[in-house]
Amino acid sequence: MVLQNVMDRNKRKEEEYYLASQWTLMRRKFKKHKLAMASLWVLGFLYFVALFGNFIAPYNLVAYNSKIVNAPPTKIHMFHEGKYIGPFVYGIKMERDPVSKRKMYIENKDEIYKIKWFTHGSEYKLFGLIKTDIHLFGVEQGGVVLLMGADSMGRDLFSRMILGSQVSLTVPFAGAIISFVLGIIIGGIAGYFGGAIDSVISRIIEVLSALPTIPLWMALSASIPPDIPVVRVYLYITIIVSFISWTGLARIVRGKFISMRKEDYIMAARIAGVSTWKIIIKHMVPGFMSYLIVSLTLGIPGMIIGETSMSFLGLGIRSPATSWGVLLQEAQEITSIAMHPWKLIPLFAVIITVLAFNFIGDGLRDAADPYK
Amino acid sequence: MRDYILKRILMFIPTVLLMSVIVFFIIQLPPGDYITSYVSRMSAEGEVFTSEDIARLREQYGLDKPWYIQYFKWMKNIITEGDFGYSFAYNRPVWTVIMSRLPLTVTVTLIIMIFTYLVSLPIGLYSALHQYSVGDFIFTGIGFLGLATPNFLLAIILMFASFKLTGDPLIGLFSEEILREGLKLSNLGSFLKHLIIPIVVIGTSNTCGVIRTIRAQMLDEITRQYVLTARAKGVSENTIIYKYCLRAALNPVVSGLAGSLSSLFSGSTISAIVMNMAILGPVLYEALKTQDMYLAGTILLTQGILVVIGTLLSDIVLAWLDPRIRYAERSS
Amino acid sequence: MDRKESIVQVNNLHINIKMDEGILTAVRGVTFHIDRGETLGLVGESGCGKSLTCKAILAINDPKCSTSGEILFNSDDGVVDILRLPPKGSEIRNIRGKQISMIFQEPMVCFSPLYTIGNQINECTRLHITKDKKKSREISIEMMKKVGIANAEKRYDQYPHEFSGGMLQRALIAMALVCNPKLLIADEPTTALDVTIQAQILELIKELQKELKMSVLFVTHDLGTVARMCDRVAVMYLGKIVETGPVEEIYLSPKHPYTIGLIGSVHKIGSKRKERLYSIEGTVPLALNLPAGCGFYDRCHCRIDGVCNVKEPEPVEVGPNHVVSCHAVGQKTGEEGHDIE
Repeated sequence: MVLQNVMDRNKRKEEEYYLASQWTLMRRKFKKHKLAMASLWVLGFLYFVALFGNFIAPYNLVAYNSKIVNAPPTKIHMFHEGKYIGPFVYGIKMERDPVSKRKMYIENKDEIYKIKWFTHGSEYKLFGLIKTDIHLFGVEQGGVVLLMGADSMGRDLFSRMILGSQVSLTVPFAGAIISFVLGIIIGGIAGYFGGAIDSVISRIIEVLSALPTIPLWMALSASIPPDIPVVRVYLYITIIVSFISWTGLARIVRGKFISMRKEDYIMAARIAGVSTWKIIIKHMVPGFMSYLIVSLTLGIPGMIIGETSMSFLGLGIRSPATSWGVLLQEAQEITSIAMHPWKLIPLFAVIITVLAFNFIGDGLRDAADPYK
Repeated sequence: MRDYILKRILMFIPTVLLMSVIVFFIIQLPPGDYITSYVSRMSAEGEVFTSEDIARLREQYGLDKPWYIQYFKWMKNIITEGDFGYSFAYNRPVWTVIMSRLPLTVTVTLIIMIFTYLVSLPIGLYSALHQYSVGDFIFTGIGFLGLATPNFLLAIILMFASFKLTGDPLIGLFSEEILREGLKLSNLGSFLKHLIIPIVVIGTSNTCGVIRTIRAQMLDEITRQYVLTARAKGVSENTIIYKYCLRAALNPVVSGLAGSLSSLFSGSTISAIVMNMAILGPVLYEALKTQDMYLAGTILLTQGILVVIGTLLSDIVLAWLDPRIRYAERSS
Repeated sequence: MDRKESIVQVNNLHINIKMDEGILTAVRGVTFHIDRGETLGLVGESGCGKSLTCKAILAINDPKCSTSGEILFNSDDGVVDILRLPPKGSEIRNIRGKQISMIFQEPMVCFSPLYTIGNQINECTRLHITKDKKKSREISIEMMKKVGIANAEKRYDQYPHEFSGGMLQRALIAMALVCNPKLLIADEPTTALDVTIQAQILELIKELQKELKMSVLFVTHDLGTVARMCDRVAVMYLGKIVETGPVEEIYLSPKHPYTIGLIGSVHKIGSKRKERLYSIEGTVPLALNLPAGCGFYDRCHCRIDGVCNVKEPEPVEVGPNHVVSCHAVGQKTGEEGHDIE
C-alpha cells in the first residue's frame, strides 16, 4: 500500500516533467526569459494603443495650426498660483528672442485651458467600423495640448506618433505573415519535389538574396504609382517589405524538407498511402514549426527598419498617412535636432519596438530547446 | 577541391544572367520613364512640350520599345562592347559615372568589413567564454541597441555628437583640404577621421550579428563530445578553444560573409545619403527618382554581382575550413 | 592508499548537480578500488551515475557538478588526490591521456570533423611522448596498426567522416593507448557498434591490456560483456555501489536484491523456451529530492519496513572480496541469499 503511494507520487512528478506537450514546454521555458516576457507586455501595450489610436490621439492627421510651428511639448500643470484645479495647460505665445531672432514659445499664464476627458473632437471610424468623434482627452477650444511638441507644419507630434504607429506596427507584421506563407509554399515546393523545380527556384532565391535589400526596396518602392489611394500604397509597401524576407524563410524550409524527405517516417507514411499534401502538413511542418516561428520573429525588426527607412527617404508611406519613418524626416538635419530635440522621439519608439521583437525572438529560440 | 571550385564558377554565369533580367524588370517597373519625369520637371520650370516632342524624345532614347527588347539591346551592348548604356541625367555613359565612384565604394566597404570582423571576433569569443559576466552583459546590451537603431539615424546622432564635442560634424568623406588637394598620404589622417562615423554607423549591425553568432556557436561547441575527448587526452584549454571550437564556430561566420557584404551595400546606401558620402548609394537614389534606367540598373547589377562573387569566395573558404563539405561534394 | 597493488582508490565520492528543479544527487558516496592489471566492471542502468564517476577520475566533469570525496591515484609522481588538483593545471593534464585514458561510447562524435584522424591521435603523442614531428608520426601510425587499422599510413591523413564506426572506435582506442597509460576507462565502448564489431573490439581491448599490463575500468550495462571481460564487478544503483565482488561470485551467488534481479533478468542458455523473462518492478526514480533510506526500497522484494526506508545500508563483507550494502543481507549474515528462479 505504502509502496504504491510512493511509486505513484514519484511517477506523477516524472510524468509531469517528461510528458508535457511541446507547446506547454515551450511556454514554460519562455516564461523564464524575463526580457522576452517584458517585451511581450511592451508590444502588447503598443499594439493596444495603435488599435485604439484614433481614440487616444487628441488630434487627427490633418489638423495643423501655423501658430504653433515647431512648438515644444506643452507642460501639464495641476496647480495654478498655488491652487489645485486639476490638469490643465496654459496658452502659448510666440515671441522672438531679441538676440538670436529665433522663435520662442512661452506660456501665457493668463489663459487656462482645462484638460477634459472623453471630449468631442474630429470624426473618425473606430476600428474602421464605428463612426464616432469621442477622443480620450482634449482641451477646450483655443488651447492646444502638445504632449510631444509640434512639427514644422504645426501638427501635434503625439497624435501623429500614435496614428503613425498604426502603420509602423502593422506593415512589418503583415509583411511577416506574407513572407511566412510565401516562404513555406515556395520553399516547400522546392524542397519536396527537388530536381529541376528546385534548381530554378534556388537560382531565383540566390539572385534575390544577392541584391542588397535597401537598393532593391528603393527600386521597388519607386515603382509605386504616384496617384493611387493611400490604402493601396500601404498594401504595396507591405508586399515590398515581405518580398525579401521570404527568400530567407524559403531557404530554411527547403533545407528542412530536403533532409526530412529522406527520413524513414516519411517513407512509411507514403507507403501507407498518405497523400502528399497530408504528409507535408501533418508530418513535416510540425517538425520545424518552432524554428520557423523564431526566424519569423527575428525577421520582423528588419522589416520595421525597412519600412522606416523607405518612408524616411520619401519612398514609402505618403501623406496624408504617416508612419514613424515619415515623422523622422523632420529629424534629418542636425540643426533641426539641436533646436527641436523632441523630434527624435519616434526614433525611440522604433528602437523599443525592434528591441522588443528581438528579445521575444530570442526567448522563443531558447524556449524551442526546452531540454537543454 | 578543384572540381568544387570549378563547379561554383560555372554556376556563376547563369546566376548573373538571371540577375540581370530581374534587375532590369524591376528598374523599368515604375510607370512612365525618364522622359516622363524629365518632362514633368521641365514643365514645372515653364517649358512646354507637345506630344510629338515627347514621342521624338522617346525614340531618341530608345524608350519606345517594349521592355524585353530594351533588355536585349542592353545585354547585347554589355557583352559585345562593354557598353552599359547611357545615363540620361548625367549625360555620360553609365560606366564613367559608376567608375568615378566605384573604387571609393569598394574601398570603404572593404575597410568597414575588415573592421567589423576585427572587432566582433574577439568580443564574441570573450562573451562566450565569460558567459553571464558583466562584460558579457555590456557587450550584449550594446549589441542589441546597435541592431535596433536604424543606421541613418545613428549617423545623425553621431554627427550631432561630433559637432557638439569637436566642432566638426565630419560630414562626407573628404574634408575641404582633400577636396582641394586630392587624397595624399599627408591628409590620410583626415580621411580616416571622416571614416569613423561611417564605420560605426554602417558596421554596427553587422558587428552585432557576428558577435551573437560567434557567441552562440562557441557556447554550442564547448559542450560537444570531441571537446570532452580532447580534454581527456590532456589537451590544454587554450588549444581546445582556438584549435577546435573557434574553427568550428567560424563556419557560420564565413557562410554569412556574402550576406554581410550585401547588408553593407544596403546600409551604406542610406547612410551615404544622409551623411553625404561620395559613394554609389546616393547616385542610385537619384537615378531611381529620375528613372535614369540604365544607371540605376547597372548600379544594382554591379552590387549584385559583387555579392555573388563574395558568395563564391566565401564558399571556397568554407570548403577549406570544413573538410566535410569537400567530401559531400565529391560523393554526391 | 589501502593496498599496495591498487592504482586507483575512490573514497566516498559525492557528485551533486544543481538544476532548476533542485539538487540532483547523482553520485552518493561511491567507494571502490582498482588493482594493477585487473579489469573492474562497473555495471548499472542508464542514469545511475557510472559516467559521472568515470569522468570524475579524470576531472573532466562539467563545472556545474560539485564533487567531494577522494580519488587517490598512484601516479608517476607518487600518490595524488585527483580531486585536489587544479582542474586546468598542468599536473592533471600530465595524467590525462598519458597515465589515465578514457574511451567513450560513440566514437563518431569523439573526433573533431575538421582535422584528420592522424592529427588528433598525434596530438596525444606530441603532448606526452615527443615533440619531434617525424618520430611522433611514426609512433602514432604504429599504434594505429596495432589496433588493427588496415592501411594505417593512408588512413592517418583521412578525416573522421571517411571512417566506419568500428574503425573510429579502433582509432579512439589507438589515441587512448598510444602513451601506454596505467589505467584505461572504457565507458560503454561497444554499445553503439554492430555485434560482430563489438566482439572484435572487446578482443582488442583484452589483448592490449595483457600486452601493456594496464588496468581497465569497464563501464557497461551489458552483463554478457561483463562476464567476458572483467575480473571483478561493482554494481551501481542510483548513485551508490550496492555490491562488489569477483565476477564468478556475482554471477553465481549474487546477494543484493538488485543484483539478483539483474542476473535473473538475463536470458540464460538452457532455460525453457516459453519462460517469461524476469524483470524488476518499477523504474529507476529521479535522483531529485530522494527520500531517506535505501534507494532500492521502492522496487525491492525483501525490504524491511522501518529499517530499509529509514537508514542507508552499510557495506558488509559476505565473502572473500565480496561486499554488499543491504539491510536484508546484513541481518542474515551467514545465511545464503535467495535467488529468483
